[in-house]
Amino acid sequence: MALRIGTLFCIACICAFNSVAWAERTTAPSHIRIATAGEPQTLDPHRYNLRLEETLLNDLFMGLTTFGAAGDIVPGAAARWHTSDDGLVWTFELRKDLYWSDGVPLNANDFVFSLQRLLDPATAASLAYFMYMIDNAAAVNRGAQPTTALGVRAIDEHTLELRLEKPYPYLLERLLYPTAFPVPAHVIREHGSAWTKAEHWVSNGAYTLDEWRPQSHVRMQANSRFITPPRISQITYLPLANEQNAYNRYRNKEVDVIGAFPATELDAVRRTYSADLRLSNLLSMAYLVFNLQVPALADIRVRQALSLAVDQRVLTDQVMRSGAAPAFSFAPAMIDDYDSAELPHKEIPYADRLSQAKALLAAAGYTQQNPLRVTLRHMSTLENKKINLAISGMWRQIGVRTQLQQADVRTHFSALRQGDFDVAWAAWVGENNAEHYLSLLQSDIGNVNYGRFADPHYDDLMREVSLTADASQRNARLQRAEQHVVQRYPVIPLYTMAVRRLVSPHLQGWQENPRDMHQSRYLSWPESAR
Amino acid sequence: MAAYLLRRGIYTLLSLWVIVSAVFFMLRLAPGGPFDSERALPPEVEANLMAAYNLDAPLYVQYGRFLGDLTRGDFGPSFTQKDFSVAELIGAGLPTSLALGIGALSLALSVGLALGTFCGRRTGSFADGILMSITNVSLALPPIITGPILILVFAVTLSWLPSGGSGSAGHLLLPVIALALPYIAAIARLIRGAVAEAAREQFIVTAYAKGIGRQRILWHHIMPTAAIPLVSFLGPAAAGLLTGSVVVEQIFDLPGIGRYFVQAALNRDYTLVMGVAVIYAMAILFFNLLVDLAYGVLDPRIRFDR
Repeated sequence: MALRIGTLFCIACICAFNSVAWAERTTAPSHIRIATAGEPQTLDPHRYNLRLEETLLNDLFMGLTTFGAAGDIVPGAAARWHTSDDGLVWTFELRKDLYWSDGVPLNANDFVFSLQRLLDPATAASLAYFMYMIDNAAAVNRGAQPTTALGVRAIDEHTLELRLEKPYPYLLERLLYPTAFPVPAHVIREHGSAWTKAEHWVSNGAYTLDEWRPQSHVRMQANSRFITPPRISQITYLPLANEQNAYNRYRNKEVDVIGAFPATELDAVRRTYSADLRLSNLLSMAYLVFNLQVPALADIRVRQALSLAVDQRVLTDQVMRSGAAPAFSFAPAMIDDYDSAELPHKEIPYADRLSQAKALLAAAGYTQQNPLRVTLRHMSTLENKKINLAISGMWRQIGVRTQLQQADVRTHFSALRQGDFDVAWAAWVGENNAEHYLSLLQSDIGNVNYGRFADPHYDDLMREVSLTADASQRNARLQRAEQHVVQRYPVIPLYTMAVRRLVSPHLQGWQENPRDMHQSRYLSWPESAR
Repeated sequence: MAAYLLRRGIYTLLSLWVIVSAVFFMLRLAPGGPFDSERALPPEVEANLMAAYNLDAPLYVQYGRFLGDLTRGDFGPSFTQKDFSVAELIGAGLPTSLALGIGALSLALSVGLALGTFCGRRTGSFADGILMSITNVSLALPPIITGPILILVFAVTLSWLPSGGSGSAGHLLLPVIALALPYIAAIARLIRGAVAEAAREQFIVTAYAKGIGRQRILWHHIMPTAAIPLVSFLGPAAAGLLTGSVVVEQIFDLPGIGRYFVQAALNRDYTLVMGVAVIYAMAILFFNLLVDLAYGVLDPRIRFDR
């Protein structure tokens, strides 16, 4: 009897499995399944905080500017724009064929409402400061001024004007972020915070939200009212935070695109999935930051010695082997129209660097009997452990005793912000302009200047930068500032992060780009796949 | 009986209060907060966020509010899953977790019982030796080992089953097996011992002497006796299945509440961790109560009115 129950259960399981089609296995030709690095925390563009949400929100909404297929900046809701001579007033002419997905026309007032909503303290937008360049934005966000005081107005239905506090030549790039996306005022007024539920969903992008099952999937349908209807009619985003799981599901043909696979599999992937492999460098910077409030590290000789002893090429080519590129400047070398200032010792042979480093440490009073002792803080991911262990080994060669200290991502960055470290690993994924990185070393930027680096001359140079409206002049001034700061050794640049994607070789329109941003409306399956 | 239930109810509520309070304060003591990310926030933005989630109030006020909301069954909004309330998230994840838990428990019980009675009636035989050796091995294999092996064999290599996710019964098959394996082994060994021991009892020998059929003896006389150690095992086992499902849900990307638990703890999503902890605590306390009541049914010597 008992045996029979067991048998029956097994048969029932097998029948259930066979009768229910293994739905994900076969895709409709106009359907795509994309793995994201985790679960989105919100689909409200003003409350978003994660890079992976930017991907989803870019399919759902379109800002004044938007991404081209190659990740470049192209006109979005705005057809054209012009700037006043002092760089303070930006006027955007909107396209005349803009509609929300429910058919309601979209006009300049929607953008006014949206920017006011972003900066309204009640929205509690964590990235509200992305738009602090707008006149009165910080004061509005602090609650010191009403939202109507914000420097934004609709001149007419199709003309939007933004007034800035200081010139900001990178505005078109900043408008790419979801913080500047329009949200449907008429739906938010009716449904309040429930407007992001699929049943109330209205947006202006190429897709609309169809279903969101937490931790399972986000499904989107093509928006028939979008300016150019996309070729792929349905997208399923799957949250696959674990790289191994994502890799398994790609190999089992359960997803068409994954964002990452384990770095240790890179050689195997090169052999078996060479047509699917898409390696690219991400606009980003991983670096070590010195805490200047630690007396030993306030000594520039110590910082220079520790910097000399780190061999970036060994880290990327032998330790990580994940496709990441070594970095020798704090502003990533891949930034357009900008020559980054590199570490002065980049071309010196490593053996010479080590002897220089030892001499510097000796001059600073550290000997074999009295070695320099530092703690190196890092995140508890496997790759991060490997990197920092290797760095501690490099420092050992110049007689430095390093104690490693690891924590999960929240604890790590919380400790950094509180200045609770000697030396720490950090990373910044940023924009295609040097200022976004170099401003992290300004003394008045707040606790994101983890090491509390303060150099009055550098601050002066950066202040000059912030008042320059012309982009090329601004870049030249940034270069001067970087050339000055690189010799102060506030950080050790390590590498720019690599993106290791697997993309179905049949998928058309996928182009690697430094922001790793891919709007699904540019993608399609070939006719033969239909 | 009623007095016993009342007393147990009060104890259960007290335990629940101790557990949720411990989780509440442990979470607040953990370094890092829900809004600490790579992107640092200007002070005014942080103040807006803290106010929106009532985190700017003193700790005792937050605790009082939390207990008040809890008694009304309101877990509040999730700190990180901003578009969902904690109740909505648990509502979305619970069916998957329950399907996984009930599936694994049913599989463990049916296969374990079958194997146990089969071997218990043939102790010392060749088949018994082989089967018990296999159960020994599977006892030592937690889902964190068997899960990836099952994925590698049945999904990646043979491509018979999906390697993760949800949506069909096929998606549940591998996770259920991975979770159930150690319990199949444990139950089989428990039942085997109990059946073998009961078969030697005087009243069973008498039953055989009276010419009662083998099946009747097994189900009416041996099994009720053998079931008592099984019931004692099932209380902690149900709790183990729940906590084990946290691991299995991670390995197989199942959208159950176990996955939230880990994510939420890492994200310092205070309300979501509390919500899931309360559900887990309630489930474990409920199973323990159920087991204690079952003793009374199975063993007439146990009485509740003392």
